[in-house]
Amino acid sequence: MADEDAFDAIVVGGGFAGLAAAYRLAQADKSVLVVERGQVCGAKNLTGGRIYAYALQALLGDRWREAPVQREVKREIISLLTEQDAVNVDSTLTSVEEESYTVLAAPLLAWLAEQAEEAGAMIVTETTVDGLIIRDGRVCGVTTGDEQLEASVVIDCEGINPLLLERAGLIRPLDPHDVAVGAKFVFGMPAAEVEQRFGVQPGEGAALLGMGDPTHGVFGGVFAYTNNESVSLGLVVDSAAWAKSGRSLLATAQDLQEHPALRRYVGDAELLEYGAHLVYEGGYDTLPQMSGDGWLICGDAAGLCLNRGFTIRGMDYAVMSGIAAADTVVEAVEAGDTGPTGLAGYRRRLDEGLLQDFRTLRGGHAWMSGTPDLFTVYPKLAVDLMTDLYHVGAEPVRPVGSTVWRTARKVRKPFSTARSLLKGMKTL
Amino acid sequence: MTRKSVDELLATTRFETDEHNAHIVIDPQACRTCPSDRACVTSCPAQRYVWDEAADQMRFDHVGCLECGNCRLVCERLRLGAEGYSWNYPATGAGVSYRQG
Repeated sequence: MADEDAFDAIVVGGGFAGLAAAYRLAQADKSVLVVERGQVCGAKNLTGGRIYAYALQALLGDRWREAPVQREVKREIISLLTEQDAVNVDSTLTSVEEESYTVLAAPLLAWLAEQAEEAGAMIVTETTVDGLIIRDGRVCGVTTGDEQLEASVVIDCEGINPLLLERAGLIRPLDPHDVAVGAKFVFGMPAAEVEQRFGVQPGEGAALLGMGDPTHGVFGGVFAYTNNESVSLGLVVDSAAWAKSGRSLLATAQDLQEHPALRRYVGDAELLEYGAHLVYEGGYDTLPQMSGDGWLICGDAAGLCLNRGFTIRGMDYAVMSGIAAADTVVEAVEAGDTGPTGLAGYRRRLDEGLLQDFRTLRGGHAWMSGTPDLFTVYPKLAVDLMTDLYHVGAEPVRPVGSTVWRTARKVRKPFSTARSLLKGMKTL
Repeated sequence: MTRKSVDELLATTRFETDEHNAHIVIDPQACRTCPSDRACVTSCPAQRYVWDEAADQMRFDHVGCLECGNCRLVCERLRLGAEGYSWNYPATGAGVSYRQG
């Protein structure tokens, strides 16, 4: 059993999952230590990004409105891109209220860390956890340098590269086929400029997800998010497929700024920061064991990220898994059982909560990664159709029906394509 | 729009440099017989891996690493922890320090 000066819980990593867990535990008067390797919480985090507000509400109640989020998303753009052109499905959803906000991870996590500390959590930064203390198969704490820190439970929120659990053999190593790699540029510009370029009202924002030529046939896409005084622009591609492509990831990411459909958002703006991060995309069937003897795993480390093509969610699941982990630990500590049985409630909470989404969308990743036409043929067809419909020249006009038919005939194997698209609708 | 070099790009990102301790270690000579088609060279978003044709070996610079972990996946030797290869997080707050994130 843990000795008297041991913590109820040690949280590895002060990201969205770790800080949510720490805040919740501290609120329940449990002793909790967060060990963060960055200089401050948020220094090692990178998001696309946007967060769905329900998760912040679940963690903080109405106080979440004080959180330094950026702009409320009121405009959603799906962009089908060819080399030069784009067809955009542009939705102005002004009636949506407080559903999602664009965010920059660094300021938001710094603020969340303050909330956790005020609630009573202890946060140690600039400290990298090197290993787990394991006695008789039970995780009893963490080691950092020469120091040994003991706890009844270790909550692993170390992010997309879960070195600790992999090395302890508690979860299987990350598989390149389950992961995408993202690169992001943040371009600074005055608020009015953001609003003008994206055609949004003061304080409101837009989110763009695009697919097509920029990823050169590799499963992935591009994104753009409006921040208060900057625009985030980036690329996410399947790690294993990209490695085989032989193309430079950095050069390809830089090409985004020159694409006519994207250049208008960031052209001539000053680059504030460049970053890169992995994104988990494996889906339900690849998820690890979520808890064991003295340990739980949350957020990116647990693979809790879902890509549906038109939405990518991770931070909300990180927060929700942190809450579920904390509630489980409170129960387990109070019941005096922090072994595998005492912590099994975590999986039950996840099953009844966010894992429902993962089950519903089971197979989505396999479908998208196995349907390369999504990233080549369909965007091109959409652009070709629009080009033909809007074309006016000296020659006689063609009826709309025949224009559509001409485009539709370019689809190879129409029956198997239709079958594949139906399957996609079921998995997404 | 002028295209930035990788050094210019990384100059916008803040790093707390640990000049002496590389958190990622490779064996530049062993990289001659790479089983992964030197995917690190094209897949690293910070272009930290450069194949030096003249010296017939890999050049790797941990300063400027964005710690994404993609090399840990695309390089079989880093992934499996082959002799002479290891991937770790930087210690004591060193490495990339995002201000925007």
